[in-house]
Amino acid sequence: MVEKITFSATINGQNVGPMDVPQDLMMVELLQEYLNLTGTRLSCGQGACNACRIIVDDPVKGTYTVAACVTGVTWLNGKTVRTIEGIAGEDGEGAPLPSAIQQAFLEHFSFQCSYCTPGFVNSATVLVEHLQRAPIAADQVEEVVLAALDPHICRCTGYVRYYQAVKEVILNTPGLTHDNPASKERPA
Amino acid sequence: MTRLLRILAPLAVIGIVVLGTVYLIGRGSGDIPPASVDFSSLSGDDRQEMFDRGEWVAHASDCAACHTDPAGGSDLAGGLPMETPMGTIYGTNITPSKDHGIGGWSADDLYRAVAWGVAPGGKNLYPAMPYPSYHRITRADSDALWVWLMAQRPVDKPNQPNGLIFPFNVRPGVALWNAFFRPDAEPAQVGDSPAEQGEYLVNVLGHCGECHTPRNLAYALSDDHLAGEVIEGAYAPDLRADALARRGWSQDDLVSFLHRGLSPQGVMTFGMFPVLSHSTSHLPDEDLTAITAYLTAGQTLTGPQTADPVGVLSSEGAALYIGLCAGCHGTDGAGQPHSSVRLDVNTTAMFREPLNLIRVIAEGIPGRDLAHGERMQAMPAFDQMLSDQEMADLVNYLRQRWGGHEGDVTPDVVESARAKGDTRHQ
Repeated sequence: MVEKITFSATINGQNVGPMDVPQDLMMVELLQEYLNLTGTRLSCGQGACNACRIIVDDPVKGTYTVAACVTGVTWLNGKTVRTIEGIAGEDGEGAPLPSAIQQAFLEHFSFQCSYCTPGFVNSATVLVEHLQRAPIAADQVEEVVLAALDPHICRCTGYVRYYQAVKEVILNTPGLTHDNPASKERPA
Repeated sequence: MTRLLRILAPLAVIGIVVLGTVYLIGRGSGDIPPASVDFSSLSGDDRQEMFDRGEWVAHASDCAACHTDPAGGSDLAGGLPMETPMGTIYGTNITPSKDHGIGGWSADDLYRAVAWGVAPGGKNLYPAMPYPSYHRITRADSDALWVWLMAQRPVDKPNQPNGLIFPFNVRPGVALWNAFFRPDAEPAQVGDSPAEQGEYLVNVLGHCGECHTPRNLAYALSDDHLAGEVIEGAYAPDLRADALARRGWSQDDLVSFLHRGLSPQGVMTFGMFPVLSHSTSHLPDEDLTAITAYLTAGQTLTGPQTADPVGVLSSEGAALYIGLCAGCHGTDGAGQPHSSVRLDVNTTAMFREPLNLIRVIAEGIPGRDLAHGERMQAMPAFDQMLSDQEMADLVNYLRQRWGGHEGDVTPDVVESARAKGDTRHQ
């Protein structure tokens, strides 16, 4: 008999639960099989490829990402979570409006099959949000982008276009870097 | 006043004489045995044989552990920082560079440095050079090492000045330490039995006690040989036979651990990972079997055994384990081959010190090629995600469920362990 827990959380701004789920359920399975949020991709199942990274917003510990394939619902119970479905905005007429990171990935042709893309989007999003609170020098951007995205595996495009897209967003967004003339004005 | 001076002056003179005598005792070296061969008349085959033996000595002695160049390119060019309570000390260049290494050293010089801790010119080496362990190296092994070292590529890289605090930066003070704590050089008579070979490998060349033996207030090795010690921010565990048996080692698992860096009891981590890379993975099976024979003292060890949990497991700890650990290590702690270690028989939770367990959870472990094709994937760091209380709950859960300990780790202990890790990362 599998033990159950009563799970509830805020996912993409929506209250989820309370619902009884097996206590050893991994988050990716909850998202896909219980909540029909299929954008979070299961790949390696070992926390190694990071295609399944989701965002946790913790008022005390800050914002961080976890691999949903190896993070259990017992850890995320009661927490505030964002998945790929919660990243895009809305254009005022009901149509999705890609975030700056998503738009940059489209413009840079950063992905082909897209299986790894939700993980890249979430980690890059957390990086941008971190830089909003703690800007860095422009010449550190490449190193910081590499460190943030290095754990993510892509088997199509070879990373460069992902990294270039995130670097461009950071350098062109006011407030993320200092000593950077390019970020003083918003891009057209 | 005059009367006081009359009393103090003789005392000062006596003090100076005693100090001077102690200094003279510890400054130099005693007699050194004659060279094992006549280097001027070595045949090509003899020299090759010594070269091969020297390479083995270099691996068994793990010279690269301290003398490697952290910038890469050479295992012997020096520069690796070693944090000690006395400050930072840097491994020196021991390539045959004439200007910056040991290119001008004779075989006698090498023996005197290795066995007595005295470099040419009478310079006392700091005991970070483990001459208190190497003091029983055979002259033949020292000479073979010299032949091998002198055949290595010279690297003209200057030595990094040490960053020791006063008074430890006053090098002649080492002579005073030597007078009390340096054993005399005395070449070992190594028998043929595995246990005797193992004793030489463990206590002399491998200098295992330098990390695994507790140190006294003078930072010298105590008499509690291999009883375990916290050093360089991690716990080097108790290696005595009873402790190995208690932690569920078997002879075969010890050999596997030293050979591949992995066994059901754990994976080479912290200071032991470079030991695997530079030393034990290069040793032949008979050496590893000998080391095991010595460490287990003839006992037949039973191997991994799961025990019943100690006390009542907290629901907080259980939830943390299932939420953060079970995805890779399994709800039953069985792990996954080549990616996640077993936890049900892992010895880290069994150590009396929770330091390593806390640091591994907080800092994670990089994905690594271990040795002989074995590798493990990265373990993530949970430092940001876990408060001190949550870390204590999780560590207590692991130690109670599989470590045979009470749940006695407090948030204060966690905070202190995290600080040790932070210091190591600076």
